[in-house]
Amino acid sequence: MSFLAPLFLIALAGLAIPVLLHLTQREKKQIVFFPSLMFVRRIPYQSVRRRKIQNWLLLAIRLTALALIIAAFARPLLTRPDAPIAIGQGARELVVLLDVSYSMGYGDRWSRAQSAARDALRGLSPSDRGSVVLFASGADIATRSTGEVNALTATVDAAKPGAGSTRYAPALKVATSLLTDSQLPRREVVMISDFQRTGWQGAEGTALPSGTVLTPVAVQGGSDRPNVTVTAASLARSTFATQERAVITAGLTNHADAPVSGMTLTLEMNGLAVGTRPVSLEPGASGSVTFDAVTIGQRNMRGSLKLSDDALAADNVRHFVLSPADPLRVTLVERGGGNSLYVTRALAIGEAPKFDTVTKGPDALSDDDLRRSAVVVLNDVPVATALARRLARYVEGGGGLLVAAGQRASWPSDVEVLPASIGAPVDRTRGPASRVTGLELGHAVFEAFRAPRSGDFSSIRVYGYRQVAAVADAQVLARFDGGAPAVLEKRLGAGRVLMWSSTLDQSWTDLPMKPVFLPFIHRAATYLAAYVPPQPSLTVGQVLDPTTAGAHKGQAPPRVLLTPSGRRMDLTDEGADVLELTEQGFYELRGEGNEAAVVAANVDPAEADPTPIDTAEIVSAAGAGAASASAATNATPLTPEAREKSQRIWWYLLFAGVLLLGLDTLVSNRLTKA
Amino acid sequence: MQEVHAIPGARFLDPVVLHRIGNLELVSRAVVDGFINGLHKAPYFGASVDFAEHRGYVPGDDVRRMDWRVWARTDRLYIKEYEAESNMNFSVLLDVSKSMDYGSRGITKLDYARILGACLTNLVHHQRDRVGFAAFDDDIVEFVPPSAKHMDTVVHVMDRLKAGKPGSLKAPLHKLAEHFGRRGILALISDFYEDPDTVLEAVSPLRFRGNDIIVFHVLDRTELEFGFADASPFEDLETGEQMPVVPEAFREEYRSLVKAHIEALRSSFSKVRVDYTMVDTSQPLDHALFRYLSSRSRSMKSR
Repeated sequence: MSFLAPLFLIALAGLAIPVLLHLTQREKKQIVFFPSLMFVRRIPYQSVRRRKIQNWLLLAIRLTALALIIAAFARPLLTRPDAPIAIGQGARELVVLLDVSYSMGYGDRWSRAQSAARDALRGLSPSDRGSVVLFASGADIATRSTGEVNALTATVDAAKPGAGSTRYAPALKVATSLLTDSQLPRREVVMISDFQRTGWQGAEGTALPSGTVLTPVAVQGGSDRPNVTVTAASLARSTFATQERAVITAGLTNHADAPVSGMTLTLEMNGLAVGTRPVSLEPGASGSVTFDAVTIGQRNMRGSLKLSDDALAADNVRHFVLSPADPLRVTLVERGGGNSLYVTRALAIGEAPKFDTVTKGPDALSDDDLRRSAVVVLNDVPVATALARRLARYVEGGGGLLVAAGQRASWPSDVEVLPASIGAPVDRTRGPASRVTGLELGHAVFEAFRAPRSGDFSSIRVYGYRQVAAVADAQVLARFDGGAPAVLEKRLGAGRVLMWSSTLDQSWTDLPMKPVFLPFIHRAATYLAAYVPPQPSLTVGQVLDPTTAGAHKGQAPPRVLLTPSGRRMDLTDEGADVLELTEQGFYELRGEGNEAAVVAANVDPAEADPTPIDTAEIVSAAGAGAASASAATNATPLTPEAREKSQRIWWYLLFAGVLLLGLDTLVSNRLTKA
Repeated sequence: MQEVHAIPGARFLDPVVLHRIGNLELVSRAVVDGFINGLHKAPYFGASVDFAEHRGYVPGDDVRRMDWRVWARTDRLYIKEYEAESNMNFSVLLDVSKSMDYGSRGITKLDYARILGACLTNLVHHQRDRVGFAAFDDDIVEFVPPSAKHMDTVVHVMDRLKAGKPGSLKAPLHKLAEHFGRRGILALISDFYEDPDTVLEAVSPLRFRGNDIIVFHVLDRTELEFGFADASPFEDLETGEQMPVVPEAFREEYRSLVKAHIEALRSSFSKVRVDYTMVDTSQPLDHALFRYLSSRSRSMKSR
């Protein structure tokens, strides 16, 4: 027996105070002289003796109670150095990992999983502690290490499958952290899941603490009904007589071992069914169903592909959002003379995104033009200081600027916007023409040309270019063969500036005639406009950035988020800037006024794949197994704190002390009445 | 309400007040003055003016006491017998054991007994009787043989008595019995902390000698009531023995034991025709004196 806080035992000396008082008072007590104790002596001595003993009893009770309470504060623990606590003995820390991915809703899997969890928790003894972790793509500690089985069971009862997909690694990592924090000698993890292979992407550093017993409880099968998943909703946009249309094709997979027929797939737009198709699929086969074209008449049209009922409901729906394509406005600034012809033609081609091209002279460029433009192209024009300053503000506010430095191009030196100062022209008409080399293929503009035979910049011949000197924070993306910078980039505020040190027409180069011209211009424009293709839907588990999601240029940031279940979240709260999608359906982002952006969230179709994993793979990867003898012998001895925490002797001492104090009250009351 | 006393003026005779006077003779005189002389008669026949009876002449009788008138009428010789007066022996036997040195109200039992003895002596001396005195604890401490001239000696001896040793009744009383060969009145004053049978056995030799014995059982009020409040160790004055006592728990039982003891003494003494008077030291002396006188007169009538 030893104590964690032995200093408290000093208080035991205080116990002597009542005894000393008692003794000193006894000595001081006046002796009464009496003529004869003849009669007193005749009074039965037993009664005197008993009364005395009762008083001593009271004193003893009080002293014992105080001593017990003091001992409790000193936190005693039993130490048995000869018999180290082996694994397999003593209190245990149990972590129940319960899969709440949507595939657990298949058949009666969920009720079986719940009863398995309850069984595991019922096995907890009073000294054990347990935790319940609910996991899907992430893992949440629903109830942290506690000895209250009722609370743990209630957590299991209250849980239900969500819309997430299974991933085992986060759950095992959470279990590791819980077990590492625990001081108890035995550690157990019970993982209850349908153990799909899709949830396991290798070990991912999921080693459980040594000596931990990982027990996988597989709840699989559970229904002989078919299960078909809507795996994709692909949208093929087209424009028909100024109206934009989309042809919607659903991808379907039959996960069952039996052929499927007689099911139906319905397309709903804004809640109205617009088409229904029968579905027939062979076992394990995938197929597609195409619906008639849908006219995109408004923004944020909510579309859903719904399959008739089967064994797993969650994967029968696929939502998407349709909005008319937003063209990117590109303002071409030129001196006239048709040197923007090739650029205009190049930008006129393309659906995703579409470009809306406007040509202006440098003097006619208004602030409104700038405000509405995603990209401004300065096609070989001299720029006055006033315009340069306005352009600087435009770029800093998030605009994109493409500068083609030809014969006429100039830029005021006191406005630092360009990635390089424009110098003297270099004439390469005599001798071999310059070639473009040294492409920065990792950059977004040139990434498309990374693969072999996907575009040859070296075939471009450049007969003249401007000598430029890159500024400090500029990045050179391509060079001429002489080493002079050909393409440069600079970031300024929220915007980007690209500079091509030759022309975009045929006066100095044959670039417009080359196949790389069109993708280069498209890439440069989308890059400068920071264009992100609109996504018809997101997957549950992805993170939504409310400031950019569904927003288009000029829209105020949303303030409120409505979840599919109708929950309202204030986005102005701290920490609400990044949201994880947890529900299946349409999230609505509302700003000031009635402007709303809609984001569709779908379950991960991979989760519907029932292919199981061998649980031994997870057990071995987690570094856990049966608590072998070697684990027991290698177990590090418990710290006194851990030993004391597991024994909890103080609790019993305190309880006994308080009980004795109650008894003392009773006894003294009785004595007073007597 | 005014207390009614048997003797007028006796309410002034508070023993505590008397004790403060200090002079025992003065005290006894103060108490006794006012008592009527000649209340008692001598228990013997002798020379006196009060005729008692005739008895037949026996050779040797004083011919002067022959009743010639009866001889003339009946021709038989009778002797006149008269009540004897004021010629008896009266002795106070005072217990001076340590237990008598106890008093809870300013006067100890010994002081009270001393005053009582002095008063009785004084009273008897006024009757021209002979007075004697004996003090004892476990042995005889003082002894003054009865004499008509010993009044001063008795009072003086009584005055300087001190309680000292633990006492017992049997040995000293048996020894004293030898000194009181002549019949008389013995006033035994004690607290009788002994078994009633032992007490009776101790007193018997005195009684067998033909003495009239008056017993005064002197007790303090505290000894009767046991009015202590706090639990304390109690020490026996005689033996020095200590024991813890919780008065609250003891009181009832103690009172009943004392009461039983007094009753046992009273019945034991009455069986052997010994006057027994329990005297509470908180009560005035006249109670004790009156008890003595009334018992005396009763005994005269009953003879």
